[in-house]
Amino acid sequence: MMARFLVAPVRCLALVALSLLGFVVAASSLLAAATVIGYPSLARLIRRLARLDAALVQRWTGVAIELPPPAGPPEPRRRDDGWYVYERQLYRSRRVPAFLLELKWIGADRGFVRMWYWLFFAPFVAGALTAVPVALLGGGLVLLLTAAGIGGLPVPAAVAGAVGIAAVPAGVLAGPAALRWYAGWARLFLEPAGQTWLRRSPVRRWLSDQTAASWHGGGLSGLSFAAFGGFVVNLLAALVSWSLLIPRTSLVTRQAMVYYRGMVGRWTGRPVEDPYQPYPEPPRRDPDGTYRVGRSLFPDLDRAIRWQRNGWVLGDPATWRDLLWMATAWLPGLVGLIPAALVSFGFFGLVWQVLWWAPWAVPVGLASGVWVTPWYVWYAVRELIPGAAVVPDWASVLVGLGLTGVGLVLAQPLLRLRTRYDRLLLAPTRSAQLRQRVRRLTDSRADAVGTQAAELRRIERDLHDGAQARLIAVGLSLATVERLLETDPDAARAMLAQARETSSTALVELRQLVRGIHPPVLSERGLVDAVRAVALDCPLPVTVTVRLSGRADAPVESAAYFAVCEALANAARHAGATRVGVDIGYSDDRLRLIVTDDGHGGADPGRGSGLAGIRRRLGTFDGVLAVDSPRGGPTVLTMEIPCALSSPKTSTSSETGWSGC
Amino acid sequence: MRVVLAEDLYLLRDGLVRLLTAHDFTVVAAVESGPELRAALIEHRPDVSIVDVRLPPTYTDEGLQAALDARREVPGLPVLVLSQHVEQLYARDLLADGVGGIGYLLKDRVLNADQFVDAVRRVAAGGTAMDPEVIATLVTRRVDGPLGRLTPREREVLELMAQGRSNAAIGQRLFLSESAVGKHTASIFGKLDLPPSEDDNRRVLAVLAYLHQ
Repeated sequence: MMARFLVAPVRCLALVALSLLGFVVAASSLLAAATVIGYPSLARLIRRLARLDAALVQRWTGVAIELPPPAGPPEPRRRDDGWYVYERQLYRSRRVPAFLLELKWIGADRGFVRMWYWLFFAPFVAGALTAVPVALLGGGLVLLLTAAGIGGLPVPAAVAGAVGIAAVPAGVLAGPAALRWYAGWARLFLEPAGQTWLRRSPVRRWLSDQTAASWHGGGLSGLSFAAFGGFVVNLLAALVSWSLLIPRTSLVTRQAMVYYRGMVGRWTGRPVEDPYQPYPEPPRRDPDGTYRVGRSLFPDLDRAIRWQRNGWVLGDPATWRDLLWMATAWLPGLVGLIPAALVSFGFFGLVWQVLWWAPWAVPVGLASGVWVTPWYVWYAVRELIPGAAVVPDWASVLVGLGLTGVGLVLAQPLLRLRTRYDRLLLAPTRSAQLRQRVRRLTDSRADAVGTQAAELRRIERDLHDGAQARLIAVGLSLATVERLLETDPDAARAMLAQARETSSTALVELRQLVRGIHPPVLSERGLVDAVRAVALDCPLPVTVTVRLSGRADAPVESAAYFAVCEALANAARHAGATRVGVDIGYSDDRLRLIVTDDGHGGADPGRGSGLAGIRRRLGTFDGVLAVDSPRGGPTVLTMEIPCALSSPKTSTSSETGWSGC
Repeated sequence: MRVVLAEDLYLLRDGLVRLLTAHDFTVVAAVESGPELRAALIEHRPDVSIVDVRLPPTYTDEGLQAALDARREVPGLPVLVLSQHVEQLYARDLLADGVGGIGYLLKDRVLNADQFVDAVRRVAAGGTAMDPEVIATLVTRRVDGPLGRLTPREREVLELMAQGRSNAAIGQRLFLSESAVGKHTASIFGKLDLPPSEDDNRRVLAVLAYLHQ
């Protein structure tokens, strides 16, 4: 007990020292971040210090701080040929991609941000009070020494003795409390925030949505300012080269525009499609040895391709719309910047001035004796706007909150306004959309024709090697029977039995073949009952729910049926599911089939041929497949096919009356 | 025994008529479409009818629907349904009324005349004749519920029962005495909570339970 109190001030001293070191490291990491180079190693140091801090706190106070388990940045991917890959770029050595990966990893790590904040603020929020026991004990001891005649403080011995005697026990007594104080702050800063009511409340969601919108608006505006640079580059290139360079420069800026569209999609949730025309087929060699592009002939391929590419770039209206956008986007950019400016000046300027004041003004004040006011940002405002002086200094925080509020309210509408302008020029025009659709249709038609041809070949082969061959065998047997009937009736009988056997096998094979082409239930009962039938044949328990008031066209039903079959087979074969649900519904002019299983998930349409097959099958009808299959399951496949439903007659049976006879 | 036959392929229809006549059946009507079948069933009220699932004019499951409708009108009207393919779904539909007198076979089974005629007679007598193909898909299934309580041997017996075999036939197949099979069937009925009633009827209900597992 005694020992705990006696050792507490020493521990306080250690923590305070650690927090001061942490501050220095965190502050210097700001500089390192600006130069990038030393940043990862400083980040590692920050991590180590914060973990040390948490470990000491836990050992000395028993307050457990749950930090995410230590992890390293991902290893750069090494290709078989020995090169390293990072974001579509190859590197000879591991160093650069590893460095870039670590930078990216640090940027995405929430735990690291918390550690940095803790190290940066610890001396001010926790360290100051934790230093009190140290100061009391140390100061008390110095005073006692003075009273004993050692040391040279200019204080009367009696006073020194009295204060010293009071201070030393006070320091000892305050020790454990100071440690707990420090531990509480450390935990508050370092532990990830749980799902408190505040985090779940709509207010909080509104705040984070609006804040995100304001930053995204600011980001897009920043990019559109930069885009003006792209315009200038194109303009200069055009002036210098009498427009000859435009195809080249605009291809470069096109890359930037693709990036910008991606950002708009990411930040507004509504992707902007690329409007560019597809790259043309390379020119073919004519019989006379020249290459033809449009109405021009070229003696060699190189020049033909260059000419063709120029035509492709210059003839694409999207090129000119991009240019127009680059020239003008800064204007809506100015408007789009307003929310971010209001929030950053209001909140991070006026509200935070007080908080930020401590980390830099206190050390400066202690060192130089010159104390800067905590209202330094407001003073700057007063300089610019003389009328602002009527507001008392402290009220500037309220002004800041007000500005932040206005900024947040404006964030969404202004972001919408600016992206509307972006879409106006950057999204594909009606004709570009149609062109893209034609291309998709051509692709899916080629796909369908190819699949169908392969399917026909398979059927032909199956018939040729199967039923056809067996019928020949039956015919041969019968011919032999004819001959043997008189001479050897027993052999004839055996032959007959064999012929019957063979014809049975042929029938079985034909039945299987027919099932693969178009299952008979589908033509007899339609999609719903066909799915029910296949569900009954599935080794897993399958629940089928139906909300359908009519029948789709036969080809659509067939595609949907085979898609469901494939999905069920996947669930049984690969997912390790114990239970499958199939939901068939129709809404918004779309037939919707949802197959859910409780397997281990991780289905990837990019890998398995099954899902790709479903996608191809549906693609012929403009249908889509959405795969939601997190590791650990469940897997939900949603298949949609746009189609019309005919005759409002439900799937099953029994409503037909006697009237037909 | 009076038979109504519905089959749209002339060759098969003609062959079936020959086959049945040769086995002392009287074919009172051999029709080729759904509406004709409906009329014939109600007019003749045959001892047994043999019906192809797919019939004109729609070439969907016209024959099956006509048979089901007729059985609603005349409960227990014996029907043997023939098809190029068998589906559990159809088997369930056919057995749903739980009355019996139902057969459901692949057309291939006609090739074995004796077994086929045997099945026709069983159906006419109010029994069932399910194609082994229908049963085969069931065997691979995971079982829970009342059927999970059956022993493997009882499941074998039930499988054969579903095909419509008599206790004697089942005993022959599984190398058991007829009384041993009787014990198994009694145990199956008990485990499936089937009320005591006429044996044929309970057999149908057991098969129905089997299909609905």
